[in-house]
Amino acid sequence: MGIKTYISSIPILLLLIALPHFLSSYMIHLAIISYYYVILAVCWNLLAGYTGQFSLAQHAFAAIGAYTAALLAVHLNIHPIFGIASGGLVATGWSLLIGRLVLKMRAIYLALATWAFAESSRLFIAMEYEWTRGDLGLPIPFNMMLYGPKALTPYHYYYTMLIMMVSILLIIYKIINSKIGLFARSIREDEVAARMMGVDVVKVKLFIFSITGLFSGLAGGLYAHYMGLLSPSLISFYEMAIIIIMVIIGGFGTFWGPIIGAPFIYILSEMTRAYGEIRMVVFAAVVIIIIRFFNRGLTGLPLLFKRLLPILRPR
Amino acid sequence: MDPILLTQFFISGIMISVLYILMAIGITFIYSIMKMINWAMGEFYMIGGYLQYLLVTAIFGVQYWFIALPIAMFSTFIIGVGFQRILLKPMFLGGIERRDDYATIVTIALMVLLRNLAVVIGGPYIYSTPDYFPPVHLGPLPVNGSRFVAFISAFIILIIFYIIVKKTWIGLAFQATAQNRIGVEAIGINPLKIDQLTFGIGVALAAAAGALLAPVFLVYPESGSISTMKGFEIIVIGGLGSIPGAVVGGFLLGMVETLGSVFINPSFRDIYGFLLLMLILAIKPVGLFGEKVRVA
Repeated sequence: MGIKTYISSIPILLLLIALPHFLSSYMIHLAIISYYYVILAVCWNLLAGYTGQFSLAQHAFAAIGAYTAALLAVHLNIHPIFGIASGGLVATGWSLLIGRLVLKMRAIYLALATWAFAESSRLFIAMEYEWTRGDLGLPIPFNMMLYGPKALTPYHYYYTMLIMMVSILLIIYKIINSKIGLFARSIREDEVAARMMGVDVVKVKLFIFSITGLFSGLAGGLYAHYMGLLSPSLISFYEMAIIIIMVIIGGFGTFWGPIIGAPFIYILSEMTRAYGEIRMVVFAAVVIIIIRFFNRGLTGLPLLFKRLLPILRPR
Repeated sequence: MDPILLTQFFISGIMISVLYILMAIGITFIYSIMKMINWAMGEFYMIGGYLQYLLVTAIFGVQYWFIALPIAMFSTFIIGVGFQRILLKPMFLGGIERRDDYATIVTIALMVLLRNLAVVIGGPYIYSTPDYFPPVHLGPLPVNGSRFVAFISAFIILIIFYIIVKKTWIGLAFQATAQNRIGVEAIGINPLKIDQLTFGIGVALAAAAGALLAPVFLVYPESGSISTMKGFEIIVIGGLGSIPGAVVGGFLLGMVETLGSVFINPSFRDIYGFLLLMLILAIKPVGLFGEKVRVA
């Protein structure tokens, strides 16, 4: 742990920095959206995989950030940087409010309340069409987008999203390896025992819930400025389901799991778009198999090989 | 405000809330015995709707919808028992660490699977079941016939459910399992068998709601999502694991929705429930009828 991990991730980082020069602009688009999903998946993994708190509203916080940024840009002509920042803040505010009400209860309440929150905010955005244009979709005018009309190639957004993703990953890595990360894992294993040992359970949970809300909101704000068009389908439950699928297939409760899983699943699902809904059926079935028999996902493949090798090798 | 119109709003609100209570009781019944939330509840609602549509349009004809209803419920019961045996039974046999995580993820994956399977099999179309019953007049008020019979049937199903749980031997076994899973093994009840029945009955209640609401809210792959959301809101409002709580919470939700859509704005009808939920969580976090559970 520590310095070695940082040094070994430098080549990967250099590769990601050089990447857009070798790819078509469509592939860069896929990469940008993958980074967005990496942020959401890592946040959800920190919450569910490390702390044991099942939030089902990660996509809703991202969408709230996105809509805040877009609405501020469209209606009030506020500078995009402040728009994205306030998107993050509004998402944090909501997560603090829900967290305060629910996190002192059993873990299942968080899942129920966040589910209701996500569905309600989708309906609200769809119905409040005077401001958000509902299902028609909310376009951000070209000159109000983060890089304005000059960003006809997605390079700018690629690097912005990359910087955002890397800094969020760094912060989350720090959190996981700090005292708070240790507290979080103790809460996951046994909440009562953690409280007995003097962990301020509610405070730790609230901190992690609100910080993941903040990161999701920021990612959503940037996503809004990149896409330039938002619709309530951003909060459809499929978004949450795909985040869960990414984390589980990547590796639940591991740091690298969602980072590998999110691009893998997103690009795979874009490549196989022609097959329609059957791919979601396959993903869901794979998730069920992984969680049933081997809950390490892709990051556990080397371990699986090690375990299977003695069986497969002829004696 | 016109009092007749107001009464009409209230009547339709109450009628629909009985259907949501059906959903909520299914969820809370499964929760109180298996200590897990079935997130795929809305998909069993959807399956119920599809089966009812098939039975009514292809086999029986609309006038015999009441024969199709138990068949749809029973088929969903069988499907639910099958899923329970394959996916959820291992939870109680050991070998699965962190049972709550497992149950949540498996049922969410099941939800995605079933929804998309519905699109693959039935196509992304909206099917409309013909009305079960011509419009009824309650005094001076005309009421949609399908809503009326849905209300009556849901009420009857709830009464049957209540009698089974409170008065029969198997109902006592359910109550005992809800209280203490290890204790019931000592008196000769197999909790794994009870689990199967529970899961089957719970999803059959959801299927009944789906089948009854098929002519009202139509049948399509995501048809279960709003009813499930209402069901979850009701059980948080009423208290997790409490059947009277589900009933009271359901009517309260119906009232609040009606009042909200009459006096504030009808297009936000489905959102008032969430506000009520936040309010209840702020005032009485365990819900109206919930009891504070000892954690250790």
